[in-house]
Amino acid sequence: MVETSLVSRLTDIVGERHVRHRPAQLLVYESDGLPGYHKRPRLAVFPGTREELVAVVKALADAGEPFVPRGAGTGLSGGALADGVVLLGLNRLTRILEIDAANRLARVEPGVVNVALSRATAAVGLFYAPDPSSQAACTIGGNVAENAGGPHCLKYGVTLNHVLAATVVLPDGEIVSIGNAAHEQEGYDLLGAFVGSEGCFGVALDVTVRLLPMPPAVRTLLADFRTVLDAARATSAIVASGIVPAALEMMDGGTIRAVEASIYAAGYPVDAEAILLIEVDGLEDGLDVDANRVTELCLANGARTVRRAADQDERARLWQGRKKAFGAMGRISPHLVVQDAVIPRTRLPEVLATIQSIADRHRVHVCNVFHAGDGNLHPNIGYDANDPDERTRVHEAMHEMMHACVAVGGSVTGEHGVGLDKLEHMEGVFSADSLDAMCQLRSVFDPQRRSNPGKVVPVHSCREWRGAPGAHEAGAATAPLTHDTSVRAR
Amino acid sequence: MTLRPATVDEVREMVVEHAGRRVPLRIAARGTWLDAGRPVEGATRLDVSALSGVVEYTPGDLTLTARAGTPLGELTALTRANGQFLPLDPWGGDDGSLGATIATATAGPRAGGGSGGRGLPRDVVLGVEFVDGRGRVARGGGRVVKNVAGFDLVRMQTGAWGTLGVLTEVSVRLSALPERDETVALATGGDPASFDATLASLRERAWSAAACELVNGNLAKRLGVGDAPMALVRLAGNDAAVRAMRAIVSGLGDTRDVPASVWDALRRSDRGAQVVVRFSAPPASLGGVWRAAATLSHEQGDMHASVARGVVRCLLADVDADALHRVRRGLNAGYVFERLDATRWNDGHTAPAAPSGRLGTALLDAFDPARVLNRGIIHPGPA
Repeated sequence: MVETSLVSRLTDIVGERHVRHRPAQLLVYESDGLPGYHKRPRLAVFPGTREELVAVVKALADAGEPFVPRGAGTGLSGGALADGVVLLGLNRLTRILEIDAANRLARVEPGVVNVALSRATAAVGLFYAPDPSSQAACTIGGNVAENAGGPHCLKYGVTLNHVLAATVVLPDGEIVSIGNAAHEQEGYDLLGAFVGSEGCFGVALDVTVRLLPMPPAVRTLLADFRTVLDAARATSAIVASGIVPAALEMMDGGTIRAVEASIYAAGYPVDAEAILLIEVDGLEDGLDVDANRVTELCLANGARTVRRAADQDERARLWQGRKKAFGAMGRISPHLVVQDAVIPRTRLPEVLATIQSIADRHRVHVCNVFHAGDGNLHPNIGYDANDPDERTRVHEAMHEMMHACVAVGGSVTGEHGVGLDKLEHMEGVFSADSLDAMCQLRSVFDPQRRSNPGKVVPVHSCREWRGAPGAHEAGAATAPLTHDTSVRAR
Repeated sequence: MTLRPATVDEVREMVVEHAGRRVPLRIAARGTWLDAGRPVEGATRLDVSALSGVVEYTPGDLTLTARAGTPLGELTALTRANGQFLPLDPWGGDDGSLGATIATATAGPRAGGGSGGRGLPRDVVLGVEFVDGRGRVARGGGRVVKNVAGFDLVRMQTGAWGTLGVLTEVSVRLSALPERDETVALATGGDPASFDATLASLRERAWSAAACELVNGNLAKRLGVGDAPMALVRLAGNDAAVRAMRAIVSGLGDTRDVPASVWDALRRSDRGAQVVVRFSAPPASLGGVWRAAATLSHEQGDMHASVARGVVRCLLADVDADALHRVRRGLNAGYVFERLDATRWNDGHTAPAAPSGRLGTALLDAFDPARVLNRGIIHPGPA
């Protein structure tokens, strides 16, 4: 049921083409990168300019309407799912507003695609470092919302470390500038709080990011192992050695074979049970010393061979296989849960063994492709979401895997966000006081909790929930979401 | 009056009790930086130095968790024994506590070095535990190096100067000590054009020094490394990499080696300064800001600046408000006072991290509604 008044108000702002409210139009927005969930937005609106975006947010504020901001919809935790509320699409705001090479920064609109920014800055020898696997599609605005990572964050840091400032329209329509491109913190670190707030604190109108000079030299190494545990031990040894590779990625046998059978075949050894894809970069001088040391550590921990990418083409191919691994797994099963957790890096061998035993016990097939150097695991399970029995087994296995990671002092998400998917784990990780503090931090930005309602912190963890103005309506709109954390298909 | 809680629970009880009576608490640990920030009037000292010691340290993880009152020097010694270091080097030296370093977000020379964006305290801290003004004992983040679980209470506390909570525990990322760690001084004298060109070259090369700090002649003399303006460049890495970096710096002007101890001396150089003021501007504008800032003390004070960050720090005996406003007007640069005589704060001067606007007030209302935690230290707050 869509009131014509809201549709007509939004249509007045963005034009008829950019307000979608018929079921067939909304079908495509029912899912994001998290499989097994289908949530139909009430309507979807797509502003094309900054002014339109502000006007839309103000109109939603006037109407007291909850909304869910969405970039490219590639998120893996269900953060962009809108269950019966307005979906605010930002993918038309794609302008790069400024590239300041002298100060190494760029100012962009939220819908700029991650890889498009590095392409635009390559001419001046600069790049944007955070490189999530979905970088060919995902947007900077979405990256900011999720505090996105990626393989090269091992050396260069995650989105948080690369965002210098933002102009934000708060859910009530107020426009605020947070952060400071001149490197001096002004006031509380509101920018730090905003990055990673999963769309719950407002919508970025523009984002100022740090650019880095492209490293003069790179060595890309591929080490193959007979066992996952050997590769895990090699990873721990490299981290402990003090060498900070630009990236240190692991793929297990199942992933390798899926990639090699796909159009993304990278030339990985199909008889290996694990490979490490390792990159060191920096000045040409001294780089071979580090590469040789990494090679020795791999060989000492059971690597069969360690080979170096001979040229840029081979390097690109090796990375394409890694970044398209999730896509390649589509050949194996209709659905794929890409999980996300972080553990202390010395615990890699034991936790990977635990994950395998959990998978065996629940008769599910787990593939690992992840940021080993950061201890950021991605145990992925291919399955058929339409098979209720398999669905249940997958859910139980995932739950146990998260517990195993928390038990060794880890986190339930390193870069994908809590969204809907991890809500059920939050009370196991954080105390009531901590969750209440998080609720209050959210209320600073969005007292009515209308922006991306029902995500990140379970609603019932917020002690002052009932006291917040307008909370009752927003709470009612989101109640079904918070109780719907099981992996299920329609 | 001084309270000395021995446990987090005692901190909580004391905060709740003072919030009930609306009596402010001045949070302190090692007491090395108490002259920074605005004065906290009529406060009871909350001395958290007993909350000290390492909670967890597995060297292979390159992470460490310690109680907030732990002296940095203790962590430096512990990590060095394992070939590692804590990449936090706040002004004032290693005598201060881990908690104060995070609370004030004071960023030393290393903040302007390293690869990418990982030099500031906000980039190094992984997790915190704190007691807020409502008596909540909350944790944000964790002990692992990547973590996006929940809203970011860690960044919220970093640089809040204790006004949103008393830090009780902090987790940080560590780095491995490099094979070589050498420092060269690059002469930057000459006319403004060549000075600016040298800064641009230092900034624009696709390499990263572990630190690169400009010091003026006065400060160079006090540090015992010369008497002319220079850039102190810290080169770290393996042998071949450091030799290559040395060649790059040598190509920019006259260089000579200086002992690595110059960095600790620089960090402690603010001792005795009655006034410490920081300017910040886009890094490409550093030359102009540097020259303007020099007029504040008629070239008589000590100054240093991060070449990569464009932050200039002036260590002065006194400051003339008119001169300051003149400098401020002529430049598109912000400035904050780290340190100022207690009687001078009423002139409208800004402390670091002074919150402004509705969001800042809303944060205070949410985390310290009675305004008992370091009341007024960064903003002239209501009683």
